[in-house]
Amino acid sequence: MMRALAIGGFVTALALFVAVEWAARRPGSRIPSSADVCAYVMRYEVGPVPVGRIGLFGFWWWLGWHFLAR
Amino acid sequence: MDHPRELIVTEPRVWDRPVVSVPVLVCLSLVGGQLPSFSASANLYTLGTGGALIWLGLGARVSRRPAPRRLGAGVVWWLVPVAVFGVFEGTTFVLHAGDEFPTLSRLADPLLEDELVRSAAWFAWLAAFWGLVRR
Repeated sequence: MMRALAIGGFVTALALFVAVEWAARRPGSRIPSSADVCAYVMRYEVGPVPVGRIGLFGFWWWLGWHFLAR
Repeated sequence: MDHPRELIVTEPRVWDRPVVSVPVLVCLSLVGGQLPSFSASANLYTLGTGGALIWLGLGARVSRRPAPRRLGAGVVWWLVPVAVFGVFEGTTFVLHAGDEFPTLSRLADPLLEDELVRSAAWFAWLAAFWGLVRR
């Protein structure tokens, strides 16, 4: 029962990601796409250091290592 | 004279085009899909490919698409899937109930044992990484 709840929760989250991305890609949408959100985050810099870029790259690197190497 | 970085769009290089990058990513993914979890080769391959992409992404070797200067109010919609995922991932992680109430990683592990699924996951990871490098 709890296992089904967890699976249902993750599937719901995935479906919501897809739905928001789909809504964002419609013509004239006021919702930014996930790519635009990432690009905006990656613009963040502290002085000469591209903190947003390093942070997002680091997170994605860790995610790949976590799922594909461990 | 300095130009804002968002306005600088350079001509893509030959290896920066989908006709080149997609087959390269497919080849890298097929290799990655052969490497079993917890192996030294899988660790080195993940660190190597990710490190190379970060090196490309932090330098000026790849042309980048312009980034938006601001995000509209509609960005709050992204909090909905993030919150749902965060609640379930956080709860399953804190309760630490194993297969009874599994985290996403624990659910994904058996699926990723299949080489084809593993290669597809590798491709998704690398393609998204390449997309980030180019933003």
